[in-house]
Amino acid sequence: MAQLDQLDVMSRKLLAGKMKGERRSKRRGQSVEFADFRNYVVGDDLRFIDWNIYARLDRLFLKLFLEEEDLSLYVLLDVSKSCDYGNPNKAYYMKQVAAALGYIGLVNYNRVTIAAMSDGIVGETGAMRGRRRVAQMIDFVEKLTPNGPSHLAEACKKFALSHRQKGVCVVLSDFFDKGGYENGLRYVAGGKYDLFCVQVLSPQEIDPDLQGDLKLRDMEDDDMAEVSITQPLIKQYKANLNAYCLSLKDYITRRGGTYLFTSTAVPFSTLVLNYLRERGLLG
Amino acid sequence: MSWFPVFLNKWYAAGAAALVIPALLILYFLKLRRREMPVSSTFLWKKAIQDLQVNSPFQRLRRNLLLLLQLILLMLLLLSFSRPVANHRPPPGKMNVILIDRSASMNARDAGSKETRLELAKREARDLVDSMPKNGTAMVIAFDDSSETLQPLTHDQAALKTAIDRIQPTDRVTRIKLGYQLADAQMNFDPEQYRPGIDPPDVYLYSDGRATDANDVTLRGKLHFEKMGSDKTGNVGIVALSAKRNYERPTEVQVFARLANFGPDPVEVPVQLSVDNEVVEVNGNRSQSTFLLPDRWDRDERDKYEHNGGRAELNSVTFNLDVTSSAVLKIEQMKRDGDGLFADDIAQVVVPPPRSLSVLLVTEGNFFLEKAINQLGLKNPDVLHPDVYESLSTDKRNRYDVYIFDRYNPKVLPPSGNFIYFLNGKHGELPDDAKVKVAKTPSGQTAFLEDVGILDWKRDHPILKDLDLGKLYIAEATKLDVPKDAEVLIDGLKGPLLVMNRTARGTNLIVAFDCLQSNWPLKVSFPIFLHNAMQYLAVGSDMDVRQSFSPGATPTIPRVNLQRAGNPATVTLTGPEGPQKIPVPVNGDFALPAMNRVGLYTTSPPIPQYEQMAVNLLDANESNLLPADHAPGDINAPVEAAGGAKARLELWWWIVAFGALPLLIIEWWVYTRRVYI
Repeated sequence: MAQLDQLDVMSRKLLAGKMKGERRSKRRGQSVEFADFRNYVVGDDLRFIDWNIYARLDRLFLKLFLEEEDLSLYVLLDVSKSCDYGNPNKAYYMKQVAAALGYIGLVNYNRVTIAAMSDGIVGETGAMRGRRRVAQMIDFVEKLTPNGPSHLAEACKKFALSHRQKGVCVVLSDFFDKGGYENGLRYVAGGKYDLFCVQVLSPQEIDPDLQGDLKLRDMEDDDMAEVSITQPLIKQYKANLNAYCLSLKDYITRRGGTYLFTSTAVPFSTLVLNYLRERGLLG
Repeated sequence: MSWFPVFLNKWYAAGAAALVIPALLILYFLKLRRREMPVSSTFLWKKAIQDLQVNSPFQRLRRNLLLLLQLILLMLLLLSFSRPVANHRPPPGKMNVILIDRSASMNARDAGSKETRLELAKREARDLVDSMPKNGTAMVIAFDDSSETLQPLTHDQAALKTAIDRIQPTDRVTRIKLGYQLADAQMNFDPEQYRPGIDPPDVYLYSDGRATDANDVTLRGKLHFEKMGSDKTGNVGIVALSAKRNYERPTEVQVFARLANFGPDPVEVPVQLSVDNEVVEVNGNRSQSTFLLPDRWDRDERDKYEHNGGRAELNSVTFNLDVTSSAVLKIEQMKRDGDGLFADDIAQVVVPPPRSLSVLLVTEGNFFLEKAINQLGLKNPDVLHPDVYESLSTDKRNRYDVYIFDRYNPKVLPPSGNFIYFLNGKHGELPDDAKVKVAKTPSGQTAFLEDVGILDWKRDHPILKDLDLGKLYIAEATKLDVPKDAEVLIDGLKGPLLVMNRTARGTNLIVAFDCLQSNWPLKVSFPIFLHNAMQYLAVGSDMDVRQSFSPGATPTIPRVNLQRAGNPATVTLTGPEGPQKIPVPVNGDFALPAMNRVGLYTTSPPIPQYEQMAVNLLDANESNLLPADHAPGDINAPVEAAGGAKARLELWWWIVAFGALPLLIIEWWVYTRRVYI
């Protein structure tokens, strides 16, 4: 907790907030930080006229300051059935990460929204601010149980429509969606949000330890795949997984987002304290 | 016999196939029961499978490749289960008779074969027993000129094989009739075979088919002729041997041998004579040479050969030598290279020490007879008056070989000897011992014949050889009652005139008339008859060269000879097969056991005249190693040529080793790599 306290959510973009916050905003506003000058227009607040320049140039210029606003942090947490898999469990791991991010956001007076998604948005905290909301946030996260199929597109679309406020959007998911991730990420990538995608996979998915003739059951839709595990098949699976992850990364980075891959075998603290900092989400 | 395999278990295999192949197909079409395993998402797995399949060749075959391999594997296993064999004869039937020839010719070793024909026949017979059906029965009969059931009909294959192994070779000749009769007789025990629809028993004849009685035998049952031997085997054999002492010059022995070549090519054969294993040199040469054309050549071929500058055939050798003591003469053909049969390469004859023939003429006076006897060149013929004869001491009376009684009926006869009786026409009398009776009229008078001419005489008999008796007339002859076992040599127009019979005492020659009452003494035939008679009666006396026995002979030793040897309780007969101790019966004559092998047999203690006995093959039919073309007694019987080739070749393990096992490995490989293939 102490370590988390020292962190804050960073955005590479200067995003406009709704309320006065502790973060520089795109907007010019009242803060101590100078942003620019502009010509005086009748009616401007005389307090911001730069008198020194007036004395030197005999013209009125208005000093503009950067507005300090709060930052919206959206954490999109995948709670589809497919996340309830692996050892350590993916859903549990993602909930831990979401809670940590939420905590960091709250203690830094950011506007934190945690949304749980599966085939849509299945739960949402609403915007929270301040340390006092930590308990509420954790309670929400704790009560989430993985259920239902993944439908990233539907979830992201709903989320994007209902959250117009710009901010940092962190998507925690395994991105195993048979409908494809592109449709979903389209809504959250670009424009409004500073996108961070964290793909969480369990070691069993990265390096499957399977043997024999198996009937693989999809946890979400009970789809069956009959396989006979052989070395070439495992090799091919790994190659496919790798290609899938690379294409996801490519998609995200091309749209200005940040992609981070993690295994649940990586201790959650290492992820939060090191990896997310390295990628610039936390500072 | 064919290289195309025959399937011994085909019906079992077909049955197994009918069960197993559908079972495999059903198993294959049943889904594999897979373990269910939840995964977060299957789409990557499906994609992986798809990717592999896209890159693999034989996609269409892929699904069925394993099935195909398994089917082929299964079929190979079934094929080996069906027990294919190459070189297979049709399987024996339910009832089989195995007839194995063990005669002399079966001891031949064919060109290129390490086994004798008999060994080969035994091996093939054992194979036949092996291939018998489970419920099949068989019997084993071995034959030469006799036959023997070694194993009556049985299911027991081990007993059959033991019986086959027990067959020992002999040097006897082949007579197949007894073998066939024995087979028929044994088969008659089974009334089942007379039922309609029952196949006749299979008779397997393992022989070279050279039987002396091949043309007058028949056999019930289905005959299979397993022909032993090859027609390329060479063999030179001694087919005739004769050795004679001249009774005028007793030390001189003339040995005559005839040889025959049964091989495919003309050969020059040196022949050597040895006396008691010492080779006799004739004119400085250790051997005489003969030149033999193949026996199988016909007249035309021989003529052609000689016409083309070939040598003329010389197929006999004659040796004249002085033998002054008892000896064994051995004639040996020296060309052993490529000679198939050993038994006919040597012929032996036992020559007793020379002794002059001693003849006693008992007569009251007969000018012609005395003259003729004296002219025979005998050393010391004695002429005695009947009274003197009767008064002789036993020793003196017994020391003659031939006794001639001229018109005299002796009261005492020596215990052994040969006798010639000249009967006194009207009043002819004969001792009871002669067995031939003088016919009596109802009034008890001696019956006689008057003015008798000659009807016929046995021209081929040694005594009457070269005689012309056509113009012989007899004024008075005694009428004889001839028993069945006596031989009439001269038949007169009214009754028998010369009768020969054998008794325990010796040979009797009975002339039914007084020579003085005929024109015979004036004929040339008279001295020749006496000469022939002396020569003939000398046979069987100590003086003659001993007859050689043919293999399998069982000579009967007369009691007289045993008495002379001191009536031994047992006699040991030592021959090529080893010594054999035989108990001697207390009375009566004594028959030796069969002397089956060629060679010299000796008795111990030595029995006079039987101290040494030579057994010689001397049989052209046995020496002829050319196998017969068809079965004796059945021209249509199938002929199986048995050669040096392996009798039967089991193929199942070849299929397993070179078919099924590699296939199993391929299948395993396919199974492990099945995603790629």
